[in-house]
Amino acid sequence: MTTLSRTVGAPVNRVEGKAKVTGEARYAAEFPLTRLAYGWVVQATIARGRVLSVEEEAGMRMPGVLAVITHGNAPRLQVVDDGELLVLQDEQVHYRGQTVALVVASTLEQARAAADALRVSYAAEPHDVLLSADHPRLYAPDHVNPNYPTDTLTGDVEAGMARAEVTVDETYSTPAEHNNPMEPHSSTAQWDGDRLTVYDSNQGATRVHQQLAQVFGLDRSTVRVLSEHVGGGFGSKGSARPQTVLAAMAARMLDRPVRVTLSRQQQFSMVGYRTPTIQRVRLGADRSGRLAALDHEVFEQTSTLYEFAEQTALFSRVMYATPNLRTRHRLVALDVPTPRWMRAPGEAPGSFALESAMDELAEACAVDPIELRVRNDAAVEPEGGRPFSSRNLVACLSEGASRFGWADRDPRPATRRDGRWLIGTGVAASTYPARSAPSTASVSAEANGAFVVRVTAADIGTGARTALTQVAADELGVPLERVDVRIGDSDYGPAMIAGGSMGMASWSWAVVKACRQLRADIDEHGGVPDGGLVARADTADDIAAQANLARHGFGAQFAEVRVDVDTGEIRVPRLLGVFAVGRIINAKTARSQLIGGMTWGLSMALFEESVMDAEFGDYLNHDLAGYHVAANADVQGIDVSWLDEHDDQLNPLGVKGIGEIGIVGTAAAIANAVYHATGHRQRHLPIRPDRVLSP
Amino acid sequence: MIPAEFNYEVADSVDHALSLLAGYGPEAKLLAGGHSLIPMMKLRFARPSALVDIGRIAALSYVEQDDGHIRIGAGTRHHDVHHSPLIEAGCPLLSFTAGLIGDPQVRHKGTIGGSVAHGDPASDLPTVLLALDAEFVLTGSGGATRVVPASDFFKGFFETAIGPEEILTEIRVPKLGASSGWSYLKFSRRAQDWAIVGVAAIVERSNGGIGSARVALTNMGATPLRASSVEQALAGAERDAIPAAAAMAPEGTSPTSDTNAGANYRRHLADVLVGRAVEEALGGP
Amino acid sequence: MTSVTMQPEGVAPARPTVVAGFTVNAASVRLTLDPRESLLDVLRERLGLSGTKKGCDQGQCGACTVHLDGRRVVSCLTPAVQVDGQAVVTIEGVVAPDGTLHPLQQAFIDHDALQCGYCTPGQVMSGLACIAEGHTTSDDEIREYMSGNLCRCGAYVGIVAAIREVADRAEA
Repeated sequence: MTTLSRTVGAPVNRVEGKAKVTGEARYAAEFPLTRLAYGWVVQATIARGRVLSVEEEAGMRMPGVLAVITHGNAPRLQVVDDGELLVLQDEQVHYRGQTVALVVASTLEQARAAADALRVSYAAEPHDVLLSADHPRLYAPDHVNPNYPTDTLTGDVEAGMARAEVTVDETYSTPAEHNNPMEPHSSTAQWDGDRLTVYDSNQGATRVHQQLAQVFGLDRSTVRVLSEHVGGGFGSKGSARPQTVLAAMAARMLDRPVRVTLSRQQQFSMVGYRTPTIQRVRLGADRSGRLAALDHEVFEQTSTLYEFAEQTALFSRVMYATPNLRTRHRLVALDVPTPRWMRAPGEAPGSFALESAMDELAEACAVDPIELRVRNDAAVEPEGGRPFSSRNLVACLSEGASRFGWADRDPRPATRRDGRWLIGTGVAASTYPARSAPSTASVSAEANGAFVVRVTAADIGTGARTALTQVAADELGVPLERVDVRIGDSDYGPAMIAGGSMGMASWSWAVVKACRQLRADIDEHGGVPDGGLVARADTADDIAAQANLARHGFGAQFAEVRVDVDTGEIRVPRLLGVFAVGRIINAKTARSQLIGGMTWGLSMALFEESVMDAEFGDYLNHDLAGYHVAANADVQGIDVSWLDEHDDQLNPLGVKGIGEIGIVGTAAAIANAVYHATGHRQRHLPIRPDRVLSP
Repeated sequence: MIPAEFNYEVADSVDHALSLLAGYGPEAKLLAGGHSLIPMMKLRFARPSALVDIGRIAALSYVEQDDGHIRIGAGTRHHDVHHSPLIEAGCPLLSFTAGLIGDPQVRHKGTIGGSVAHGDPASDLPTVLLALDAEFVLTGSGGATRVVPASDFFKGFFETAIGPEEILTEIRVPKLGASSGWSYLKFSRRAQDWAIVGVAAIVERSNGGIGSARVALTNMGATPLRASSVEQALAGAERDAIPAAAAMAPEGTSPTSDTNAGANYRRHLADVLVGRAVEEALGGP
Repeated sequence: MTSVTMQPEGVAPARPTVVAGFTVNAASVRLTLDPRESLLDVLRERLGLSGTKKGCDQGQCGACTVHLDGRRVVSCLTPAVQVDGQAVVTIEGVVAPDGTLHPLQQAFIDHDALQCGYCTPGQVMSGLACIAEGHTTSDDEIREYMSGNLCRCGAYVGIVAAIREVADRAEA
């Protein structure tokens, strides 16, 4: 085997690109099965209380109806910690929109009609759906997502604040936001005796297959989850959602395949969202801007079914050097759907608060906001003091400043005008953890000269399939065309989900290890024997043996905005992100990932807001007309670049993960630019035109 | 999301459509482009017993002109209104605005008659037609027609002057003369969204000043509204009278508050956008 | 569990059905339709053409865009019965019979104008129409005339570049 020129780092086109532009790529709801039946979810119309009765008999008389499944006739499930998966197990209603029945019929139209006709009566109880910073039931959770301490304290924050020459003490808020991947959550389940196969839209077939085995009390080897193509997830498909369990339950009861696809509206209550946050940030500094204290206190919500505590203040544990640092999270369990992961959980809302506060501090100290961040750059991780495996925030800031044209910036707000447009620029910093999780992979050398990689990775649009093809080709020393990477099948063995920006780091580690083993095996055999060769790898021990270091990606976000002086309309002609995120495997798909994250940041800054109707306990704007995500014409110039960063303390390839960092800090950069344009601080997202005018 | 059950009938003429409507009674609805009605049916906000499809009546899709008017068949699609050379020449305000409705896919199916008959105060075309003093031709059984001026047509929230056994068949728009300037300004938070507020303005220029002005507002009440106080203040006025006149735009309006904007902000926008629209219609000094 | 098997297979719909004939990618189809069926559901569930995607089913995302008699429309708001006598072209009809991609499809791949790929067929169908309609005189015009197609991954920058490349080539 000769080693060819490396493809890692090259802008390789997506290997499944052709399948996606021709419509051939099949997503979860697109596998034709004989005798397929369709399930439609009936949702609770009260936010708290009990189901008294469901008129199942009347439902069964509707045309085409095969089953009406309720808590009265549903099979019992094994208890698992995620209460959202324990569907139809009792009469309790924990939030408006919770599943109270599943209607299954021969056609979609019949299922929908019967679900609509099904009469459900309730005993409603008063509900509590509004988060506030003084809610009487606020509590400190045991930990925050996924397993970070709830509170941290270094030094004495009050003493630091008392000594400070300059202070900032402000409250920031972010609204509930919904992931809204373009592909709705969908599951199609089929049983063959005790063997369950599910075509499922998720970010990790391993986890879903484990969860299904748990709730149905099955041996894992009898459950197979297939997710070859996934139409986005952004956290909302990180683990099984109710429709997966419902489809499997109905398919077992009817002994035929059943598909349950959630409508866009149903996704607003059944698959997760980003919790609203209320964040108080206190900064104390000397006149030069050096931090004497940083205090970040967060209030957020969870449901009564499952505790999810967003790690919002984690950002402040990583960013800036200060002798006195305190972070706290307080949670209240409301009668609402369970909030979950949404792109950069923790860092996305947390960075909005801290990076806005840093801009306020820069102004209070009359220090340039980039210089302020440079002065407070941390040599070790501020909370805990671990050394960084690498930290290139300052390099990102200076590279960005030069590309963006920051040098001549006049810091005075509300002084630049072009006709009716006020113009401003802003900056913010980004970070996101660079972690790896145990994964397995196998690589086989086929007799025909091809290599097949099998790993239960998910490509939710990240380009993972393509990047893993490059990684394997380089490790095996063969052209890309000879490598076939197969993903999205739980039968390939346990692997990390596409989440937490950990996918590529985790999977590539297993793939590299398997490829190296295979090369050794081929050498040992003096070539590939007629029957082929297979090598398997498991990275659990390698990851356990890692040094205890702080591993994070860093970045700098720059924004230019134009604000209409009379209407408050905001346009963002320029966004620039510069990132230090380890090795880039594929320059083309990485660029798309980072631009995509920044597009999310723009959307978060200006548009996204799920508005709770306190009376009904429901999100009012539960569709894509009412819930605004950025459309094409809302996005103008977005550019990204990255530093050539080498970090040998991460994983074999030095990958840090790029799925989330693009959204971190973007909203703060835009908010800071709006301040620079108008002189009005924007402490609450989204920055609506009416709020710009009357802050 | 799938609508509730309904019967589907194809009408091959206006008369046929009327007899089908009469046969089904008041629970039946006309289907043209369907882009207002079908979403409401999917959400169960509308449950018609039958849909009478008038989308295939070729005789309802035309753009013609006579001396003073452009006559547009109610079944003419927004895309075709947007691209009609006749409308572009005779009433560019209308062709311009047709290009702002919804998104391109909506404009290929949605019709001018459907938009008018739906009576949604957040729609762009009704406002423009109100400002233009358009007339609507309603056809009843036996081909009897009556003509309703726009000022009498929009009766309330999603409510128009169309009778239960009538069909809107034609929209007549007076041509704009060489001395007429025009503007339609649509403000939305996100590209291709519904207007938070929209303003149509037509100014008859006279010796560098304003001879007369017609101004109408989108989404400032239960129907599209004429800003009468603004119009009176602008009649015979000079350019410098525009800001004071625009400040009267909120008079007589009753905007709602929703997740996009509060009522006060809508009033503020009406003021700002009326000023800008009248300036634009008057043309630069 | 007792109530599960009460309904026999293939219960006839309660309402009258409608027969409609139309072409899909130049092939004739004739179907007995429930009036509630959208063109989108007929394509996906009955004709096996799952390239046309269901993102919102409410006319708000553009993922289901197809060409109907040459015009781009959202198939989710188009009752299938309404398509009688018309010509439907879906993403499956864009690729040449020998499998050669349309230049716009290739440009989408080259500019990485897609990520998860779920909105992509709708973007391609809309992009083809955008070019044919002549709305490509500037990037701003492309953005405006492509704003009926949401992309949650945030591939707009690449989508505009892909359409720009093909439109420029067509003009040259």
